[in-house]
Amino acid sequence: MKENILVKYNDIHKSYGDLEVLKGINLGIHEGEKVALIGPSGSGKTTLARLLMTLEEPTKGTIEVDGKLLWHEEVNGKLQRASEKHLHEVRGNIGMVFQHFHLFPHMTVLENVMEAPISVLGMKKEDAKKDAQEMLDKVGLIDKVDTYPAQLSGGQKQRVAIARALVMRPKIMIFDEPTSALDPELVGEVLDVIKDIAKEGKMGMLLITHEMDFAMDIADRVVFFDEGIILEQGPPKELLNNPKTERLQTFLSRFMNAN
Amino acid sequence: MSTIELLFALLKGLRVTLTVAFFAIALAFVLSFVVGFGRLSKIKFIRAISTIYVEVIRGTSLLVQLFWIYFALPIIGIRMTAMMAGIIALGLNGGAYGSEIVRSSIISVPVGQTEASIALNFTPRQRMWRIILPQAFVMMLPGFGNLQIEILKGTALVSLITLGDLTYRANVINASTMETTKIFTILLLIYFLIAWPMTRGIEWIEKKLTVGRY
Repeated sequence: MKENILVKYNDIHKSYGDLEVLKGINLGIHEGEKVALIGPSGSGKTTLARLLMTLEEPTKGTIEVDGKLLWHEEVNGKLQRASEKHLHEVRGNIGMVFQHFHLFPHMTVLENVMEAPISVLGMKKEDAKKDAQEMLDKVGLIDKVDTYPAQLSGGQKQRVAIARALVMRPKIMIFDEPTSALDPELVGEVLDVIKDIAKEGKMGMLLITHEMDFAMDIADRVVFFDEGIILEQGPPKELLNNPKTERLQTFLSRFMNAN
Repeated sequence: MSTIELLFALLKGLRVTLTVAFFAIALAFVLSFVVGFGRLSKIKFIRAISTIYVEVIRGTSLLVQLFWIYFALPIIGIRMTAMMAGIIALGLNGGAYGSEIVRSSIISVPVGQTEASIALNFTPRQRMWRIILPQAFVMMLPGFGNLQIEILKGTALVSLITLGDLTYRANVINASTMETTKIFTILLLIYFLIAWPMTRGIEWIEKKLTVGRY
């Protein structure tokens, strides 16, 4: 199997004022690969994901997506900040599910899922509707199509948000702590949906989570982040059973104690 | 004069009041959006112009603005009818306040909505028109409800630039009959009866747009 690199972070730095959140990250993600980012809060995991989704701009370094630079483009042989048009073109490869769902409150569940395929991909309304219905069926919410988000539980909202991101058929999907805002009893339904999607295999995933068992279960590779650098990475079992750095040992032991 | 006669004499001014109110509200509404967006523009020049407009209009008296447009502008060669001057003064005034309603509502839409629409790859224009504005519009409604009532009541000032509106009629009848209490009580009631359906109308729209959603 030929493994193409889909996403490549090259020496990425990100600062807010004097605070350097990312201190030179190099990370490649293959097509279809599931990468879990773990690490303490404030370690820069979410920032790394937000840079890829074009929600934040790197202070230094480049990101490549599918062979194209994300935040930069070449104009007359010079590298400069990407135009909105360029961002629009490259960002189509990426999808994101947010911690706080961010469903559109003025649209029904079905409209939430249909809107982007129609406006962004130019799909016909009937086709978009059919596709949206199939996706909502997959996440178990086909009976909620005409409901407004305000009437859904947190778990249901997150499943709609997943369907909304999936219909855009991204090559890689970012899950930014998708269950952290949920009541404990609703976490399972969302994790199950993400597991199902992961098993289908085609789509890459960048998963930020504190659900360690879940990360170990679906990830091909786990990346441990601390204080803005990658401290350790490898297959889940290896990392879990044989952590090399003290920080990872401490981090993992805190989770083991908690469970 | 009997009460009925007074009422009919007063109502001769109703058309002028309603015409000025209608067009001034329409102008204010359009200006609110143009200037509200202007204040959020990426272009510094547009932001500056919009801010100056809002500050100047808000910082000066509506009555003086009205006099200035009607009596001072002709001296530099810009002439218009009293009706036009009244509509423009009230519209400009309402637009300055309305632009703040538009601006503050747009920036009140949670940033997550913008982020979600970036993640779905909407263009900046689609983000504004399909995601942000529909939500901001609902927040603008109570403010716009207030504003249109303010403009309606402001129309009473056009009686001072020779327009025969409700208040002008009341003053004329008062001068000849001296039935001050009766006349101005009826006048109050008439303004209230015009304002009432306007308030209800806005509430109805608000309800239509929000039921089950927020």
